[in-house]
Amino acid sequence: METEILHRPASQKEKQETPSLGANPRGPGLPLLPYRPGIPVSARRMAGSPQGPVLRAAAELASVTRESSLSVSTVSCVDEPSPRDAISRLTVRVENTYQLGPTKHFPVVTVSHILKDVLTSYLQEEKYEPEFCRQMTKTVSEVIKARVKELMISRYKLIVVTHIGQLKDQSLFIGSRCLWDPTSDTVSSYTFRNSSLFALANVYAIYSE
Amino acid sequence: MEEYHRHCDEVGFNADEAHNIVKECVDGVLGGEDYNQNNINQWTASMVEQSLTHLVKLGKAYKYIVTCAVVQRSAYGFHTASSCFWDTTSDGTCTVRWENRTMNCIVNVFAIAIVL
Repeated sequence: METEILHRPASQKEKQETPSLGANPRGPGLPLLPYRPGIPVSARRMAGSPQGPVLRAAAELASVTRESSLSVSTVSCVDEPSPRDAISRLTVRVENTYQLGPTKHFPVVTVSHILKDVLTSYLQEEKYEPEFCRQMTKTVSEVIKARVKELMISRYKLIVVTHIGQLKDQSLFIGSRCLWDPTSDTVSSYTFRNSSLFALANVYAIYSE
Repeated sequence: MEEYHRHCDEVGFNADEAHNIVKECVDGVLGGEDYNQNNINQWTASMVEQSLTHLVKLGKAYKYIVTCAVVQRSAYGFHTASSCFWDTTSDGTCTVRWENRTMNCIVNVFAIAIVL
């Protein structure tokens, strides 16, 4: 593959396309102008091999700029932008880890101890009061989330759901179904009761690749 | 290898769509019924399973967690809260509150994006 060195007027923006082999960029029938120092040059990549001529052209360009102090050179050896390049410029590309599942599974038992701990310490001696329990539900959720995060189990997303209710003669039923990967995702649950209230805390852990 | 670049996750989880789906399921199962301890197990299970099936039919690449709490309507208090650690751009949640003369029902849907 050869590269042609042409000269272009300085004002013209350098945007390269790859012409077909042997085409005369100045138009058919016109002779190609030889390189003259002092005139802006550009390197054009011929269709075909991607890297070789480009690197050579860049090297020639570098040598050209060194020789002529008056010329203004613009580097113009640009590949055709492919769609993949456009995407990769917009998103962060992460190396493939070749990891199929979690290295460390979610410790269900440890988390259930954390739930027991938090619920007991916050609610042991408390009586049911609407305002207090409203705040407490939110607080307990946040505290549990923070404690489970401290376990530093990597790649797991967490959802903590807390229910607190008054313990009287009413009946209630709480259930959940999940659509997930049962080998890596799991749930941990604990129910706390005292004389006037009950509390249920669930922690769902979802593995995210 | 071609990378499959998904565009739907840039919009995030569509909570309105999920809200409508779940509301229809709850109306269908509990609409016109009174609180009955014998049936409540069955009702909750069928509500949650129907919601899950309809959510999956949307065809989006999400893992779903659907939680349902049905409480007999009385003078007694009940509070629910949730706290999540996830990617806020792609994951989302939706809560539907429904009530009739004899019971209150709260359904939570959590959707976590699957990264392909």
